[in-house]
Amino acid sequence: MRISFGWLSEFIKPGLSVEKIAHLLTMSGLEVEALETTPNNDVIMEVNVTPNRADCLSILGVVRELSVLTGAQVTLPPARIKTEAETAGPQIKVEIRNPELCRRYSGRVVRNLSIGPSPEWMARRLEDYGIRSINNIVDITNYVLIELGHPLHAFDLNTLKGGRIVVDTADNIYRQIKTLDGVERKLAGNALIIADAEGPVALAGIMGGASTEVEESTTDIFLEAAWFEPVNIRKTAKAFGLSSESSYRFERGADIEIIPYALDRASFLIQELAGGSPGEPVDVYPGKRAVPRCIEVSAARISRLIGTDISREDATGILERLGFAPVWSDSVITSFPPSYRLDVEAEADIVEEVARIYGYDRIPTALPASRLSVPEAMAKMNFVRAARQSVRRSGYSEAINFSFMNPLALDMLSLPPEDARRSAVSLINPLKQEESLLRTTLLPALIENLRHNLQRDLKDIMLTESARVFIKRKKGEQPEERLMLSGISMRNSTYSFWRNGKDEFYAAKGAVEALFDGLRIQDRSFSPSQEPFLHPGKSAEVFISGRRCGFVGVLSPAVREKAEIKGKEEITVFELDLDIIFENLPRASVYRPVPKFPAVERDIALVVDDAVSAAEVIRRIKDYPSKLIESAAVFDLYKGDGIPSGKKSMAFNIRYRAQDRTLTEDEVEQVHEGLIKDLLVHTGGNLR
Amino acid sequence: MGGQRKSSSLRESFLNELSPASSVPEIEELRVRYLGKKGLLTAELKNLGGLPPEQRREAGAALNETKEFIEQALARRKQELKELELRRKLASESIDITLPGSHVRPGHMHPVTQTLEEITDVFVSMGFSVEEGPEVELDYYNFEALNIPKEHPAREMQDTFYVSSDVVLRTHTSPVQVRVMQRKSPPLKFIAPGKVYRCDADISHTPMFHQIEGLMVGEDITFSNLKAVLEALLHRIFSPDVPVRFRPSYFPFTEPSAEVDIGCIFCKGTGCRTCKGSGWIEILGAGMVNPHVFEMVGYDPKQYSGFAFGMGIERITMLKYSIDDIRLFFENDIRFLGQF
Repeated sequence: MRISFGWLSEFIKPGLSVEKIAHLLTMSGLEVEALETTPNNDVIMEVNVTPNRADCLSILGVVRELSVLTGAQVTLPPARIKTEAETAGPQIKVEIRNPELCRRYSGRVVRNLSIGPSPEWMARRLEDYGIRSINNIVDITNYVLIELGHPLHAFDLNTLKGGRIVVDTADNIYRQIKTLDGVERKLAGNALIIADAEGPVALAGIMGGASTEVEESTTDIFLEAAWFEPVNIRKTAKAFGLSSESSYRFERGADIEIIPYALDRASFLIQELAGGSPGEPVDVYPGKRAVPRCIEVSAARISRLIGTDISREDATGILERLGFAPVWSDSVITSFPPSYRLDVEAEADIVEEVARIYGYDRIPTALPASRLSVPEAMAKMNFVRAARQSVRRSGYSEAINFSFMNPLALDMLSLPPEDARRSAVSLINPLKQEESLLRTTLLPALIENLRHNLQRDLKDIMLTESARVFIKRKKGEQPEERLMLSGISMRNSTYSFWRNGKDEFYAAKGAVEALFDGLRIQDRSFSPSQEPFLHPGKSAEVFISGRRCGFVGVLSPAVREKAEIKGKEEITVFELDLDIIFENLPRASVYRPVPKFPAVERDIALVVDDAVSAAEVIRRIKDYPSKLIESAAVFDLYKGDGIPSGKKSMAFNIRYRAQDRTLTEDEVEQVHEGLIKDLLVHTGGNLR
Repeated sequence: MGGQRKSSSLRESFLNELSPASSVPEIEELRVRYLGKKGLLTAELKNLGGLPPEQRREAGAALNETKEFIEQALARRKQELKELELRRKLASESIDITLPGSHVRPGHMHPVTQTLEEITDVFVSMGFSVEEGPEVELDYYNFEALNIPKEHPAREMQDTFYVSSDVVLRTHTSPVQVRVMQRKSPPLKFIAPGKVYRCDADISHTPMFHQIEGLMVGEDITFSNLKAVLEALLHRIFSPDVPVRFRPSYFPFTEPSAEVDIGCIFCKGTGCRTCKGSGWIEILGAGMVNPHVFEMVGYDPKQYSGFAFGMGIERITMLKYSIDDIRLFFENDIRFLGQF
């Protein structure tokens, strides 16, 4: 809300600079965001009026607030008119058919006025508000709206049919209206309508109709001042995509008791600026004057919630200046907030009013005296942090992307129709089509990040992200949310030291294994992956405790091509479901005695078909029926000279140990010979 | 007298031969030459028997002394040469120690994550626990249970992404308050960090950002407490002398409500572009829990009071690192990420 300092000064003279006033308002809840000097040499305060303070959407509202803060007196602008009932002619008859939606409807006929341009002072003031001056009558309704905060509307009396106004919902009676903005609008449902004897003449509280518009030829008007129910106005305004200064105020709650004054004030200005004879006002107010709300609160409660003793004098003074007419009985204050303070409904509102006028800065700070409680384990948070840190230590930098996904991304990954990641949640109102789904995988965003970096000629791009993905359940239901940890890596710098340049797959797998090692997850395995976006020969499904928790592998050339990523270096990716990993974390370790007797080590070099995996051989070794085999590990892989094509040589280290004695060479030899025979038979290989 | 003369000439010739010796084998040769079975000194010792007894004692003592001298000199020289040789060997093995180390270069945590964890840790150290809630939330939790009914003007404060008429992307982390209060009874104190969404995008707004929500409920929680806790946080995150001010504001789920500002850390309060000349920067929203919210979750507002607060992490991170465009956080340019 823009508040003109010049205009405000007509109401109140607190004797303070505009800066000081801005500070006072800011510190009591009306934040002044900026001060602006207008071409007409006024200063406008840009006031951020929160939705609860509809009473401050006017000069008068801010003036009242300033009066509370400074104690300065308010002088209301003149509104005494000379009524000439005889010359005013027949009155308009008003009928409210829907008193819940229109609690009060007032109006006044003004005849024989002269439409013309507004005087310069008014045109300038409106201009400072960004309102174009139209003619003196329309300008006056706008002027009073800003000044007093109550919306008014002027109808051309001679176009109103049958001398009557009907306030009713559209339902099936009223079908169509052309509003002042020239748009034909279809009417239906609960939209509140102002009609004359023949049909709709205004969308109540939102916009007038074109047929009754005040024009240069207008001589007589009917001036409307009414109160419309906020929710209805808001719904109708939203349905029509139409928001006006008027609807903005009615939606937030207008002051029902200011209506006669607003009507008089506008009539006064009309008399001053356009002449004419105002008639007696009509005032249909079915519920009659609203009984002031009365709110009780104990003084102790105020002090207890704020945390400091507010004296009886302080509280009384504040509430009195607010116009709440406080009455004390024992230690309870009863307040009667004025009609314009619709936001003050309950005890907490009174506490807030006292606190904000008392001044938040005067309330001392005191850390809570809190009892110790049983601490929460926060295992999940610590786990997620550890997982992220592990991947970071493996060289990946953390990215954060929006949770949105381009529908085309699912095609880029060549996901089949039955893939769960196709079940994405779509947004009703996305900002753009490329952000119309919620992510079901973090991969597309990371591929995009990679491309962004490559386009800037950056090298060695390793990025990770941990974020939730969203898998649709039923339409309209909340989706399943799963926390994923993903990574992408392209090491394409030719100028890096210590790069072994071997298969990138193992670097990515190494990051996954390092994560598992850090979490002490021993029960893990990798098997060839069928993911359509991965290189079929360089990718793995990742299992822990027999449960699939993700994949790691080289991005398939087809996806690279679709993503338009240049360069020949391999791109590796991984994606792990952190929720599954968390559910399968090993329990705390139990101590096992450290061996008392030495181990004996033996190596085996096997020449086997390429298809035989190291994991198969190790499993076979571990399954060999001897208690003496403690561990087995692969330590060399060789292909080339001396090895037939289609075959490879793998070397394994086997460690033998007995728990109760030192093994003899003979004992070990016997088992080892047996093991070798077993391996040769099962792998179809030879010793190298 | 002949024995003594012999001794000193032996010592002299030994020293003459020792000085050019420059390797361990040469030293060994010298040892054999003087002290071996057929060595020069050994021979003299053998000759002692032919001397008259009165000369024998004197000459024997002199020769033994010389023997000891030679032994020590040889040992000393041998040690010197060994050290010299080792030094030579090590010198020949020198490598360029200015080449980079061969460890895996660690990546960088995103600055938003770093700020989020820093704030989380401050609250955890004050005894707050950490809670979570869904990002795709029911309208009920995101709005209605927080005293924002449908058609309430406050809904305009937050542009909302809709999944269906009843399901939204949460516009704030506040729904976690309601979910936790439904599940647990007071007293409680927790924070809820996470992603939130608003249908809005420009230089200072992104459609997704991070918040930390906090709630403390008990029998005597006051506005004073709220001020103290948030002041402590801001002093930890920024600096112990940063000015903090609370001014009245409005949130449907708190009352009284406050916006919290810190003195502008760029201009120190004199007014600059970042603080729009005011000297203050808005940093978070807070307030005492609205009794309606307590009623919605079945807490007795007469018995319990509480405070709640919420802050945007991107905003705080921008201030901490002087970042002027929020969109940098989501481009994931490695030149940006590598700075944190």
